[in-house]
Amino acid sequence: MLILEVLISGVLLGGLYACMALGFSIVWGVTNLINLAHGSMIVIGAYIAWGLQTQVGLDPFLALPLVAAALFAFGYLLQSLLLNRIIHVSLFMTLVLTFGLDMVLVNINLELFSANVRSIVLSYGSVALEFGGIRVPATRIAVFGVALLATWMLHRFMNHTRTGNAIRATAQNPKAATVLGIDARRTYALAFGIGAALAGVAGALMAVLYAFSPLSGAAMTLKSFVIVLLGGLGSIHGAIVAAMVLGIAENLVSGLIAPGLRDAVSFFLLLVMLLVRPRGLFGNRYLADTKPI
Amino acid sequence: MRTRLLRIGSRARRLGPRVLLVVAVLLLCAAPALAGAYWLRVLSTVFMYAVIAQGINLMAGFTGYPAFGNVVFFGLGGYATAVLMVKFKLSFAVAAIGGTLLCPLLALALGPPLLRLKGHYFAIATLGLNEAVKEVVANATSITGGGMGLSLPIPGGSPASNAVMFYWLFLVLMFAGIWITWEFGRRRLGMACRAIRDDEAKAEAAGLHTMRYKTVAWMISATLTGAAGGINAYWLTYIDAPSTFDMAIAVKAFVIFLLGGAATVLGPVVGAFLVELLATLTWSKLLNWHLGAMGLLIMIVVLVFPDGLRLVLARGGIRR
Repeated sequence: MLILEVLISGVLLGGLYACMALGFSIVWGVTNLINLAHGSMIVIGAYIAWGLQTQVGLDPFLALPLVAAALFAFGYLLQSLLLNRIIHVSLFMTLVLTFGLDMVLVNINLELFSANVRSIVLSYGSVALEFGGIRVPATRIAVFGVALLATWMLHRFMNHTRTGNAIRATAQNPKAATVLGIDARRTYALAFGIGAALAGVAGALMAVLYAFSPLSGAAMTLKSFVIVLLGGLGSIHGAIVAAMVLGIAENLVSGLIAPGLRDAVSFFLLLVMLLVRPRGLFGNRYLADTKPI
Repeated sequence: MRTRLLRIGSRARRLGPRVLLVVAVLLLCAAPALAGAYWLRVLSTVFMYAVIAQGINLMAGFTGYPAFGNVVFFGLGGYATAVLMVKFKLSFAVAAIGGTLLCPLLALALGPPLLRLKGHYFAIATLGLNEAVKEVVANATSITGGGMGLSLPIPGGSPASNAVMFYWLFLVLMFAGIWITWEFGRRRLGMACRAIRDDEAKAEAAGLHTMRYKTVAWMISATLTGAAGGINAYWLTYIDAPSTFDMAIAVKAFVIFLLGGAATVLGPVVGAFLVELLATLTWSKLLNWHLGAMGLLIMIVVLVFPDGLRLVLARGGIRR
């Protein structure tokens, strides 16, 4: 019974992780940029939802469009004003630049919100559903549902709209896309905006379930990386499966071995994956692999 | 290489930078007599970062492998030194040597699997390695003190004489790093590593045992970084996992390396002086914003000097 509980909560957590990692994946896949500030963007999303809930009384689930819009604008501007400048310089540069950006964002968050751990308290937070003796909080199921909805919307957008197709085309071959009249820099900005919006949504959803602080971001960035690596770069289905694998693995380790090792799970999974199968579980060569680094 | 050095230019142009170098070295050696404790401390930190950046230079600059999480050796060297001193009651010299030698062993063990990865993958793998080792150290409470950290014996002698001692330790280590990089660059090992950086497949095809060279380069890099960590631990007399396996140290060293210019012998030293002195100047004024100021500094360096100061140094004939 305990195992079943661990599995269910692992899968539910996986939904949130998938949303978080897809934002990271789209940025990496399209712009070939490892965004080390991704975790801080998640945290910013969490703070916006928390601020709206405590100040205005807006339900975090209803605040999601606002959070997404705010982070989209932030991401779009960031890419078009700053990151586009160095995108073709070298990979060290982008890693170092986004780490510097992360330091700035963490510092701003620390000044605005202090280092205190925050969480969103909902009036219906204690409502729970029961399946055959296992109680699952309704908020967890809602977060899972909304996160999957966001990933489904991303899937529809990327595969069934002109703009989505343009983004995928740019990811696969920027030169050919440019020849066909696609503005690569604008596409990069769009992709970064979408990635940031997904990060924001994931952050707002995370705030409903877990406590967070300005320093929560780093672990999120690495978890996103691990999930993308497991699921394969650019693969939405892969990310969902990988996120659930990570969610279950984390719950198994923290529930059965030691709670303190929860974050270590992803690091070890990362090392093992890079060593055994750097192409990911499903091994699809995609997006950035087709571009020279 | 020898021929290239001779082709640089007139005798005066070759002599200029050398005179400058000799003056700089003399000034650094005289500093303990001239500067107060505060500036000795600042300079010691500069030397420490120069060494860490030199370690990154050997891997990322010469060999083309962005060892983003190289700070793992800094943490490991520091912790190994601390554990040897506290739990095994060894003297600092013995403990530091032991702690330093542990680092190339880790690089030797992890080199063959990790150095198969390239680019982003290698960068993040080393980052993951750092986080994994950090978690292990933080949870191995019986050996490392876990979250409480570890207090080292306080060095005997007056604070002033200790400041001078650590200054010399870091200075000698930095000179050793420069000498090692110089030798590395002009020997077969360095040539092979540059061949790997420029085209690994061709290097392999030309009969180079690339994995062996890459691993040796990483071991040298690890030794330098670990020695810096060991001295740092005794200097601070207290270490804990979050502040020694700190990615911010690695990124700062990376910025220093980038600013100094990749694959130069003195680049990391020049970069360390610039970044660390700039950071010190902003530090004292910005209490709550030093993290953000450092981040901003990093971003500006990357945006303004995407090619580093390499060109400036190349004109001085120091680039190898």
